[in-house]
Amino acid sequence: MSRKVAIIGVGNSKFGVRDDALLQEIAFEAVKEALEDAGITQKEIELSVVGSVGTRMYEALPAVPVNEYAGFSGVGLIRVEAACASGSAALFTAYNAIASGYVDIAIAIGAEKMCEIDTSTSTAVGGRGGNYLWEFHMFGTSFACYYAFYATAHMNKFGTTEEQLAMVAVKNHKYASMNPKAHLQREIKLEDVLKSRIICWPLKLYDCCPISDGAAAAILASEDKVKEFKIEDPVWIAGIGYASDTSNIVRRPDYVGLSATVKAANIAYKKAGIEPKDVEVAEVHDCFTIAEIMAYEDLGFCKKGEGGKLIEEGQTYIGGRMPVNVDGGLKAKGHPLGATGVSMVYELTRQLRNEGKNRQVPLKKYIALAHNIGGTGHYGYVTILRR
Amino acid sequence: MKIMSDAKKIENPTIMSRKLLFLHKIPILKTRKFWDGLKEGKIYTTRCRKCGQSYYPPQADCFKCLASDMEYFEIANEGEIVTFVASYLVPQGFENYQIPYIIAIVKTSNELKLMGFIEGIDYKNIKVGMKVKITTKIQPDGFPAIVFIP
Repeated sequence: MSRKVAIIGVGNSKFGVRDDALLQEIAFEAVKEALEDAGITQKEIELSVVGSVGTRMYEALPAVPVNEYAGFSGVGLIRVEAACASGSAALFTAYNAIASGYVDIAIAIGAEKMCEIDTSTSTAVGGRGGNYLWEFHMFGTSFACYYAFYATAHMNKFGTTEEQLAMVAVKNHKYASMNPKAHLQREIKLEDVLKSRIICWPLKLYDCCPISDGAAAAILASEDKVKEFKIEDPVWIAGIGYASDTSNIVRRPDYVGLSATVKAANIAYKKAGIEPKDVEVAEVHDCFTIAEIMAYEDLGFCKKGEGGKLIEEGQTYIGGRMPVNVDGGLKAKGHPLGATGVSMVYELTRQLRNEGKNRQVPLKKYIALAHNIGGTGHYGYVTILRR
Repeated sequence: MKIMSDAKKIENPTIMSRKLLFLHKIPILKTRKFWDGLKEGKIYTTRCRKCGQSYYPPQADCFKCLASDMEYFEIANEGEIVTFVASYLVPQGFENYQIPYIIAIVKTSNELKLMGFIEGIDYKNIKVGMKVKITTKIQPDGFPAIVFIP
């Protein structure tokens, strides 16, 4: 019988080109905010789990300097990697340590610096996020290429348009413009997206998330500790689902959806005892605009093939049927790989506490969902939060 | 992919790290026929002698029945485009490739899917479902590649 796990503190650094700070200095911003939010000190923490991809950084073992700088040296330490879903994997690891009864309080820290190397190197490292030998080695498949394969196939099969892809970017930039922690804090118009230069056809510059630095942290606690600290009405982790898919994308049956999303979501919905329609606010993995459209479908927010229509109808804005990425998403808040999954939980925890300010989604059931993908559906995590 | 028009871009002081270069020697003993085949315009892949499972890319061990007894067969030289992209990015290591380079995933008549370059055609004239001939080439930089000809 697993124990209930609550989120008692969250923190998020400013995302962006952070040439003003080291990895550990950025992580400190997130950890400090999370500790202050929880009202505890480092000595209460029994386990530190750091999610970081790390392949673009000069620190080969990034968890170690992050942990020392934040004052956790001596505490149990694990570094986890699940590509762009490393943050969710860190959260899952911390969750399991508490649910199993092994520890009572754990911190999940996601941290990544991506802007210290040039774009051509970053593209070559990112392109290795599938299978180097059989794909990147011969074809130089960048990450944008992988999602572009899906965009071409989705547009061909369902008639999804470049305009519908662009609408995702417009929405997410709108919310990033209202989020002081976002990388790209400005609104854009549909024409800006359509006229932006081609990165990997059919994806254009504004269909792609920026390359960002950033960190986020979440402190998790057992029900016993919640009672001991007299925390009333915290946010609970209601269920976590996880899945994977083939390393070589040529081994997949089609390119119109991510089976890792579908499988992870089914597990998470079942664990939480809810259905897609119960979710009131979602953070989905929109590294490219096509990814958000596929996520709508694969998470069950609409039927397969109707994701383009959902954004066109404005249903994923605040006030719509299913508000998505109201913090700007990966697309405009930024996507510092290891930080992303924890940052999603940061945003949703604040939403569930009604601390969303001018971006607050109206809630009745207080159920939120975070969808975090590593690679091109190579890893899939879906986390459901409830208050 | 970096969005250049970052508001108020201030360059802060930085120092340069020491240089670190990785070049890997990749073992090909167990898939050697594939790599040799590319030089002759042929694409070989593997099938499990015990359970019949086919693999592309080729692999030496069968994850279905756990046997390690594979036979090679040549992949059909015709197929149909399932999806494609035109990339304007230049990842490190591909500096001498002409952009945009077009990469497609093609389904062969033996139901396997391959990745390859499409050359000599504007991407605007390519359609999903288009039939292609499958061949190989050695790039000017010495790396082999699979090429689809519409």
